[in-house]
Amino acid sequence: MKSKILALLGSTLLTGTAMAGGYQVNLASQRQIGMGHTGTGLNTGTSSIFFNPGAMAQARNGITIGASAIVSKIAYQAPESNSTVMADNPTGTPFQVYGVYGITDKLKAGLGVYTPFGSTVNWGDEWTGRFGLNELSLKAIFIQPTLSYQITDKLGIGAGFVYSTGGVNLQRSIPLENEGGEGKAELDGDASGFGYNVGIFFQPTAKLSLGLNYRSQVDMEVEDGTAEFDVPASVRARFPESTSFGAELPLPSTLTLGIGFNPSEKLTLAVDISRVGWSAYEKLRFDYGAPVNGSNFTENARNYDDAYIYRIGGEYKVTDALALRAGAYYDETPVQDGYLTPETPDADSRGLSAGIGYSINENISLDASFLYINKKERTDPSNLSGGIGGTYKSIAYIPGLAINYNF
Amino acid sequence: MKNFIHKSGALALFAGVLTLTSCDPEIDNFQPSTGAELDLTKYVAVGNSLTAGFGDNGLYREGQLNSYPAILAQQFALVGGGEFVQPLFTQEQANGSGYLKLTGFTPTGSPITTPVTTNLARRSPNSPLLTKFTDPINNLGVPGIKVADIKTQGYGSTQGNPYFERITPDANAFQTYLQRVQQSDDHTFFSLWLGNNDVLSYATSGGASAAAANQITPTATFQANYTELLDALTENDQEGILATIPDVAGVPFFTTVGPVVKQSLTAAGAAGMVAITGAGKTRTQFATAQINVPVTGVLFTLTGSTYAPLLGAPTGKYWRDLARSVASDPSNPLIVRGTLAQLLVNYEIDTTKAFGFSAGNPWPSALLLDQTEQAAVKTATNEFNTIIKNLATAKGLALFDANAFFTNIQTGFSLNGVGYSPAFISGNLFSLDGVHPTPRGYAIIANEMIKAVNNTYGAKIPKVDETQYRAVVFP
Repeated sequence: MKSKILALLGSTLLTGTAMAGGYQVNLASQRQIGMGHTGTGLNTGTSSIFFNPGAMAQARNGITIGASAIVSKIAYQAPESNSTVMADNPTGTPFQVYGVYGITDKLKAGLGVYTPFGSTVNWGDEWTGRFGLNELSLKAIFIQPTLSYQITDKLGIGAGFVYSTGGVNLQRSIPLENEGGEGKAELDGDASGFGYNVGIFFQPTAKLSLGLNYRSQVDMEVEDGTAEFDVPASVRARFPESTSFGAELPLPSTLTLGIGFNPSEKLTLAVDISRVGWSAYEKLRFDYGAPVNGSNFTENARNYDDAYIYRIGGEYKVTDALALRAGAYYDETPVQDGYLTPETPDADSRGLSAGIGYSINENISLDASFLYINKKERTDPSNLSGGIGGTYKSIAYIPGLAINYNF
Repeated sequence: MKNFIHKSGALALFAGVLTLTSCDPEIDNFQPSTGAELDLTKYVAVGNSLTAGFGDNGLYREGQLNSYPAILAQQFALVGGGEFVQPLFTQEQANGSGYLKLTGFTPTGSPITTPVTTNLARRSPNSPLLTKFTDPINNLGVPGIKVADIKTQGYGSTQGNPYFERITPDANAFQTYLQRVQQSDDHTFFSLWLGNNDVLSYATSGGASAAAANQITPTATFQANYTELLDALTENDQEGILATIPDVAGVPFFTTVGPVVKQSLTAAGAAGMVAITGAGKTRTQFATAQINVPVTGVLFTLTGSTYAPLLGAPTGKYWRDLARSVASDPSNPLIVRGTLAQLLVNYEIDTTKAFGFSAGNPWPSALLLDQTEQAAVKTATNEFNTIIKNLATAKGLALFDANAFFTNIQTGFSLNGVGYSPAFISGNLFSLDGVHPTPRGYAIIANEMIKAVNNTYGAKIPKVDETQYRAVVFP
């Protein structure tokens, strides 16, 4: 049953439109989304595999399956113009599956499959910036086997190995036209990479818990992608119909410090501060197997900056079965002025979330979440990244559901 | 109770999703307006081929539809501008005067252009005259017109400029261009981009023509005529925009062949060349290093591209071609041969000598703008532009400094993921004649004008999306 669902998720669902800073997608647990996606300083159950493997040793045996639907809207307006273009993004569906099983009382094994990065943006082939981008789909599914050990009552540690698999598809128009229309380029390739996720969880008192988590950078490498070029016949000699390409995209590291506070039995409060190592993303380079318009590669500067995310969230247990949640966060953009691109028209973003948890019985519970993301309107000349200058504004509505089964 | 809360909560969530998803992000940092002074109700455009929408060495419907005045009027309409009528060729005669099409490249990468000769608007097959359009129009752009021509009686007659003849009412066949402009008294806004041909026809003919039409306009004539024309346009204190004249050395017509010649001379170790200067037979010499140097060097015309590969060969091809085109009866081989013999005598040509390297077989004057000629063009361009700029300042009009614009973009620029430069064909800005812009180039010019109008009048006229206009069409 489980493998069937997994197969279904991998084949039919895309990972989300990038709705955190850059192309990060912070939607790892429906319960935690409801709490502003805090959780590093809490025992979050099975999802500790993601938030803090150090806390996983305290999780009950169980399985969690959840998914979100990202309805994102991005508007673009050219400089000194009043006509607005909207990207027609497909609904993104990041998902998460976690399973935890206790080998002993103190040692637990877990497996997580989740989608912490991705981007699907579709501007179409008619907008002003089509020679920069028509459509980009970036997918990454992390598979993370994890072990966690409870050293003392107060202290747990955990580590997971990350194998990432995914792919990239990029389409853009080429500014060479014949009577049939403009040229097109499409790059498509599978990518994979490796990394790790480690954490420490410390609970000095019943009311206070602390967590420190480090998710490493994962370099996604495309080794033998396919690049296809459709151009007018008279310039065909400059563009191969099909050639191979290679590229590397860093999925940045995230270091998070989290604090959990339980002022009463019913109330849990949490704060997380993350530093995301975006400075690893310096450039986007494609190396081609055959010369394309006279060059074996294309390269555009990205020069992202490291960025911080500040999160706050809370959960209130109305009854034993029903929990209400709310949270908020502020996510700094890693994109410097002059470097904005239509792939990730990023800006400082504000997230507001709410959620409900309901236990049907001892073993089965449901979590529903809703997250609203509002990125600041941003005007950028995009003169340093080869991007498309103008004003961008993004918002997203992200409902999600999860089912937990504990045993 | 539990159940109830659960259900209503889910319902609220669902309702929330529905409501919120209908909310799109809005960007409202640009509110279009004309500002306080500008009235765009009736716009008239006065000028030459650039204003008419000329491109690819012809005036045809597509070029007209994408003329910069048409683009301006379209953007003006977003802030209350009125209807803008152009003397469009009909769909049936869409190819107008005929134009050049890119049909391929030679093995060495030189473009091959082919004239379009179907669906023309010619009144009869061998006549330069075009199908009349005598309804009232807003676009008064006349290809080929100079400031020097605006008071010429009969300029719109069948013996005059066929493009002006086309829009001149039969009842008033001897009306001058100035009189035609003076007729318009209810326009509220105008553009005036005139003067290019006052230097350009001299330059494109390589300074080789003795014809009056190919001389540089005297500065005094330019000043007097331009002022009178502008006075007519501002009779009721109308607002408007003037544009300056770009340097000829910045257009592909003068910059495409030179580098090729320079490269082959350098490769062959040739120190320089011999050419004819001016309209006579006087020879001039120049060094290889002077080729394609603005102002102080020499520029080769695009029309020389056919003959550049023949450098060093004992050839008389240029003179044979010239004889065919100037002979009184080109279909009579005897007459053509006689004309050729006369040309060779007049210009003292010995076609057995090395073409371009020998005083006996020099590079023709018509295919070269030498130092003296280039300096004359530059001086006149500067004087004309000073007049235009001074008038713009004196009358408080907007100014598109086309000279500064084209000088600034000589090294190229990037806009919305497309590279632009003054390079022939690959630069995207210039059409196949090497002088007139592509529709994309015209859209970029229109945006520069909108910027100037917005700055001068405190207006917020939206810019156009230049990528919606084509550059060169490849086969």
